[in-house]
Formats: sequence, C-alpha cells, structure tokens
Amino acid sequence: MSNLMLQVQLLLAALSALLPLVPDEHRDRAAEILDLAARALAAGGVVRVNLDDLAAKLADVRREVEAMAAAGRAVSADELDAAMVRVRSASAAFRTALAEAGAG
Amino acid sequence: MRHPLRVLALALMLSATPACASLQWPGAAIENPIDAARTVDQRAYALLHAYGAILEEAADIVRDPATPLTLKRALGQAERVATPTVETLQIAVTAYIRASETPDDRIAAANTLNAAIAAAEAPVAELQALVRARRS
Repeated sequence: MSNLMLQVQLLLAALSALLPLVPDEHRDRAAEILDLAARALAAGGVVRVNLDDLAAKLADVRREVEAMAAAGRAVSADELDAAMVRVRSASAAFRTALAEAGAG
Repeated sequence: MRHPLRVLALALMLSATPACASLQWPGAAIENPIDAARTVDQRAYALLHAYGAILEEAADIVRDPATPLTLKRALGQAERVATPTVETLQIAVTAYIRASETPDDRIAAANTLNAAIAAAEAPVAELQALVRARRS
C-alpha cells in the first residue's frame, strides 16, 4: 500500500517538475490540476490512516467482549461507566472539532 | 477551468487511490465487536465502546483540513442522530444491570434494553459507514 502511495506521489512530483515544459497558455491549468491531485491524494490518505486505527480499536473491543462472553461474565457498573466516559469524551471532542472546522 | 468534469474525475480517482490500495479482502475486514457478545448487556457494552471508537476516528477526520467540508457536515449530522440513541442505550443498560432479581423486572429491563440496542444500531452503523465511505 505505502509503495503504491509513494509511487503516485513520486509521479505527481515528476509531473510537477515538467511544468516548465508545458506551453505557457496551459501551464496554469496544469499546475491547478496537479495541485488538486495532490490535495485529493492527501485527503484519501488521511481517511486510510483513520480506517486502520478504527479497525485496531474495534478489534480491541471485540477481544474484550469475547473474553467476557467466554467467562460468562456480566458487565459491571464500573465497566459501563468507563464505556460512557469514552463516548461522552469522544462526542465532546468531535463536536469541538466540527465547530473549529466551521462545519458545526 | 475549461474541463471541470475531467478535473473532478481525476480528483475522485486520486482520492480513492489510497483507500483502494489498502483494500482488504473478506477475512481481514473491520471486525464487529457486537457479534462477539452472548448476552444483552455484553451487546450493549460492545456497542457503546464501538461507538466511542468510531467517534474518535470521525473527530480525527474532521480535524484534518484536507477533508472535504461536505464529508465533515455529513459526519456532524450522523453524530447528532446517533449520540442521543446511545445515551438512551446507556440509561437502559444501567437500568438492566440494577434491575432487581425478580424475573418480571429483569424481563422488562431486558426488553427495554433490546429495544434501545435496536434503535442505536442503525445510526451508529450509518456514522461508521461515513467514516469508511472513502474506502470503496
């Protein structure tokens, strides 16, 4: 995966280096397109990293629930409180991030 | 910009490139912790923690300046729908854990909890789908 990303980024860099060879009348457009391509690639990369994190976190939760189920153990009040603290904290952080991004 | 459609197509293709490159085939997919639960309180616990994890990742996506505003707004809308259902779930699971030992109370609390889980699952799944939207 990272190899492919690196190759695409190198390709973009190589294309950018060739910009001076583009005829004057098309140079601005070519630069604009390359800039857009770089931004789109960066946005996709952020989503991929977050997906990897999410998969790891959900796998952690699953392991914990599997252990609980294997032991035939009920959820304790303390465990429940900890889960809700996580939800409230994440919800507050999410809403703050949303407001800061001007998307609230 | 003389060819906006071509530029848009290029942008979409490149946005999808990292996600396509990291595509995992069945067997290595994102796990669902709720499937591992055997009791109703374990299901509720798994759903609460999974929602916390999804929100944490959604916050990271929103913080990134490269994320399109439309995606940020969609995530915000999905969170506003999901969080109240999760809060209701928390109330129901607390009541279930504290329910007296009489069978009637226990059954009533379990029914309420099952309904709260059912009500929360779809909005939580929708938020998760948005977080994963760029993957495919």
